[in-house]
Amino acid sequence: MNRSRWRGPLALFAVAMLLMSSCSSRGDDSSDDGGDGGDGGNGDVESSIDIDDCETDPTAEIEGDTIKLVSSYPQSELVGAFAEIARGWAAYFDKVNEEGGVEIAGKSYQIEFEDKDDVYNPQQTASNIEELVGADGSNAFAVFSVVGTANNINVRDFLGELCVPNLFAATGSVAWGNPDYPWLLGSTLAPYTLEAQAFADYLKENQPEAKVAMLVQNDEFGATYEQGFRQAIEGTDIEVVAVEEYPSGADEVSTQVASLAASDADAFFNGATLLACPDALTSKQDEGWEPTTWVSATCISKTLMILAGAAGDGALSFTNLKDPLNPAYADDPAMVAFKETVEQYRTDFKGRALDLENAIILYGYVQAEIFVQALEAAEAPTRLAVMESVHNIDGFTSDLAIDGVSFTTSGGDDPFLGESLRLVQYDAAAGHFSEIGELQDWEGETLSLTPEDLVNA
Amino acid sequence: MDLFIRYILIGIGNGAVYAALALALVLIYRTTGLLNLAQGEMALFSAYLSWWFTTHGVPIGLAIAFSILLSMIGGAVIERVLIRPVTAPGKSHLNVLIVMLGMFLAINAISQLLFSTDAEPMPKPWPSVSSPGDPVGRSARLLDIGNTSISWAVGALALTLIGLCLFLYLLLQKTKLGLALRAVASNPASARMVGINTSAMLMVGWALAAGIGALAGSMVAADRGSVSPGLMTVVLVYAFAAAALGGFDSPVGAVVGGMIVAIAESLTIGYVDALSTIELVVPFALILLVLLVRPTGLFGRRVVERV
Repeated sequence: MNRSRWRGPLALFAVAMLLMSSCSSRGDDSSDDGGDGGDGGNGDVESSIDIDDCETDPTAEIEGDTIKLVSSYPQSELVGAFAEIARGWAAYFDKVNEEGGVEIAGKSYQIEFEDKDDVYNPQQTASNIEELVGADGSNAFAVFSVVGTANNINVRDFLGELCVPNLFAATGSVAWGNPDYPWLLGSTLAPYTLEAQAFADYLKENQPEAKVAMLVQNDEFGATYEQGFRQAIEGTDIEVVAVEEYPSGADEVSTQVASLAASDADAFFNGATLLACPDALTSKQDEGWEPTTWVSATCISKTLMILAGAAGDGALSFTNLKDPLNPAYADDPAMVAFKETVEQYRTDFKGRALDLENAIILYGYVQAEIFVQALEAAEAPTRLAVMESVHNIDGFTSDLAIDGVSFTTSGGDDPFLGESLRLVQYDAAAGHFSEIGELQDWEGETLSLTPEDLVNA
Repeated sequence: MDLFIRYILIGIGNGAVYAALALALVLIYRTTGLLNLAQGEMALFSAYLSWWFTTHGVPIGLAIAFSILLSMIGGAVIERVLIRPVTAPGKSHLNVLIVMLGMFLAINAISQLLFSTDAEPMPKPWPSVSSPGDPVGRSARLLDIGNTSISWAVGALALTLIGLCLFLYLLLQKTKLGLALRAVASNPASARMVGINTSAMLMVGWALAAGIGALAGSMVAADRGSVSPGLMTVVLVYAFAAAALGGFDSPVGAVVGGMIVAIAESLTIGYVDALSTIELVVPFALILLVLLVRPTGLFGRRVVERV
């Protein structure tokens, strides 16, 4: 038997695994190249979009009577759970189409959409979108609800040069405020810095001398939480006593949490997402550590919080949409109508079982609602007019948003929709988050609350 | 000091899992001279199988036992149907490598297709405390040392590993089957000449490895609280590291290697901030070091060929 023969393949395999892990953990950093400094804060609010360099004519009107939207998002493997967002918006567009379509400048249009699976892989997203939009931008009117920060960053140059709108990008990255990319707009998901701000505000009021431990992912997502939080506690008696990072994609963080627990912190910012989030909570419980805990808004999900179980009890977070899991909304007319619409139009979706308590279906539905409102407010059926419309959304509401929440944008100065929110707290025995406290309103403040280099990433 | 003990305990818990999977790798390597790249995904399939039984009312302990049994049959079938045809004498090792890479991808995909693409709550086969809103409960406390408490999770994982080692020792050293397995591992040609059914032994080797993998996969899922498609990918890398460190043909080496790798991992995350989030570097640096000094691993046998 020749053992050395195996050493080569093994080494190759090991190197491949290492590369895989380092690639995935560094996915977001690749955006550094694309930023070009980007310090040109173009102050003009109205028509802030420069169309001189567009490769297509963004003032051309839609031919025919359909608006073609395209999207790319994960539809298989573990990340396939994100496909439920599209179930929500597809159901709403179906409903609008059946009721006569959307009216822009006096003419009715049907909304047509096409999507592809990218398994959350940013490279796949890029090739999907290039194929769906076409090299000359002629195959689609706009891109809608692409999931993932790195995924949207990977298509923003291509779409920006063509001047094709990339709307309702489904992550809370603060990079959607980058003025170099006026054709990209985020969704109602709150920018991540606001989470840090909200937790800081909560501590200022309830635990003014809090010692805070933070667990964050080792990328721009984690950096936004950490830097945002440090900025939010400037000038207070709150102190960050420990920060641990974990590689993106890891689902086991017990050592990191053991180290944080040993810091004697009495507040814990759990910035972990996906499986690392419930693992951090159960590890916290195993350590017998009982700090005031914030969980990333990306962790507000039935699947994840069930894994945390009792370890998640009392955890704080925030949201701006009604939670279908919350029995308080069981008889809410908007909630009932939402569930009926989804059941009517999209009981079947990509072969996935329908779970109407899954909050991200509702999230997708609301994005479609707001988009349709913005389309109807557009002055003309052109890309530029639609883009200007979504950039000047003035206090739109949705019956599926929490009372008092509204959505507003204002050109490059405020491209963020989700800036009014309410804190929620997890009740493990009941199995859902419940709203607490008053409505928090940071309308128009995200850019000033976020370190500039993160926005221009 | 307390924190140091916590890191060591976390390391021991993970180490037990790495060691168990490394044992599975070693068993196949000893009998066939092959490193089974698909070992982790086979274990994932078995872990999902255990979970599936529990969703049909089977208690978790019994579910794992069923899963081990079925996995052993599956392992034997894989050897006969997929591996045997490409390992005939004179065929390149690369053929098997490619078959195994195929299995690596296919078994993961099949697991998702048959069972679930989501993270599913995995009950614990050891004492746990349950509370409202908690489908699987938390590991109960086993005992306290000073300010540090040892949970049942670490205890059960370590005990499982000890039991597994004992079982393998008795099987390999005290039974006829074990003797035959060792004979095939040591010298296939001579073993065949003295009447040992070598092809049956190869199947037994794969069956044992698959069974051990099933146990490791189910235990790690129970420890993490859930089974999900990515569960074993990283575990397999650490198991490879453990086996390389200990020597690919040494069960003792696999266990020692697993513990060293896991404790090094945990201490690195805990104490070396500069390597935080790239802690995988540490086990590989260790391997490099050991292979430089002892090319056969810490406990590996040197093969001397007479010419």
